[in-house]
Amino acid sequence: MDTQRKVAIICSKGGLDEVYPALILANAARQSGIEALIFFTFWGLDAVTEKRIDHLHVNLAGNASSGMPTMIGGLPGMEAFAAHMMKKSMSELELPTVREMLKILVDSGAELYGCELAMKMFRRTRDELVPQVKDVITAGDFFDLADGAQIIFT
Amino acid sequence: MQTEQLILQRLDAIQNQLAELEHRQRAFDELFEELTPVAREAIATAIVKLDMLDKKGHFAFLAEVAEVGRRVVEGFTPADVRQLADAIVPMLDVVRALTRPEILQIASDAAASLRDGDHVKPLGAFRALRATRDDDVQKGLGLLIDVLRRVGHGINAAGAADTKALDQKAKLGELLGPRRHRMLPAPAPKATAAPGPRSEPSVSAEPVDPAAWTRDVAQALAHEHGITLDAPRWALIDAARADFAITKASPNIQRLTAVAKVTTKDLYQLFPKAPARTIAKIAGLPKPAGCL
Repeated sequence: MDTQRKVAIICSKGGLDEVYPALILANAARQSGIEALIFFTFWGLDAVTEKRIDHLHVNLAGNASSGMPTMIGGLPGMEAFAAHMMKKSMSELELPTVREMLKILVDSGAELYGCELAMKMFRRTRDELVPQVKDVITAGDFFDLADGAQIIFT
Repeated sequence: MQTEQLILQRLDAIQNQLAELEHRQRAFDELFEELTPVAREAIATAIVKLDMLDKKGHFAFLAEVAEVGRRVVEGFTPADVRQLADAIVPMLDVVRALTRPEILQIASDAAASLRDGDHVKPLGAFRALRATRDDDVQKGLGLLIDVLRRVGHGINAAGAADTKALDQKAKLGELLGPRRHRMLPAPAPKATAAPGPRSEPSVSAEPVDPAAWTRDVAQALAHEHGITLDAPRWALIDAARADFAITKASPNIQRLTAVAKVTTKDLYQLFPKAPARTIAKIAGLPKPAGCL
């Protein structure tokens, strides 16, 4: 193998169902001998924010595949309920939690980055992020790091 | 002499018969002449009568009745008629239940509401919600839901019965064997698609023959991957083989950390590139399945 394959995943949404694909893709890349980095921006920052990481929800309203009418999916408590159900079926599959996934990813050699602009927007400080985040960078820095990588936006 | 007399006698007899015939003929003619006007009148009257009936629609009605009869005969099998006979008692029960005075009163009230429909105020969604606070409305809603539930239950039950019938048909079909396709030649076996070119994964998916696997083979395979097998690496290879013997599946990284008591970090340090796949490859096992 002459050239080292590399993926750069941009995680821009904070729903449980929107964060997992990014984490699983990055993990699968590492397991396949592919270098991986994830850039968390906008709501995706929730997945690496200490206070929020264990409370990610599933967005039901406006989700045609949820099988739940938007009117009902938008009721208070429905998102928490859906997140609870999804976490339950995930634990049945022995799928690690988001927090565990981040640890596995870093142990596997994947790199996690936060978006500087989004941090300012949400008035979030570096201390509020989980320790697995390697750095807070700009979009330009991201492109420097993603040099030669395939870029995936989720 | 005797012969001539005989002939004459015969001729006499024939003449008498002819006279008789002529007389009858005349009588018939007279009768016809007398009857014709009567018959004509009778037929004319009959035509008028029939025409009248036709105009009143009796014939069309009769034709329709005949059509209905034909359809009933065509559309219903004897089994259906038997079912109808079974159902007649419940049907009568329904009619009896519907004609109870209190039920009729309710129906009459509902009809009155329909009759006075002009005076009912239109309701928006919020007003409709507010209206549900009314006890009577609640009772009515409850009844509607109950009716719906029973109807739905009935539909489900009928569906189940249909499925049962289909099942029976399928079973019968199994016993009798295929009908239409019996004479058709057997379909030609599908040609297996030639494997197209695909990108080579970082670690080949093909495991070595498990029976041919020895520690020397493992050393050679490891060397191909640029890895020297030392004690901790051998421990992982052995752990993977032992786990495969139990689960009949190649362990993924999560599983390896559990059975070999190592951390993910250690795994990636010992086998930097695709640890689980590389370990499976060196251990002579198939590529691990699954996403994690």
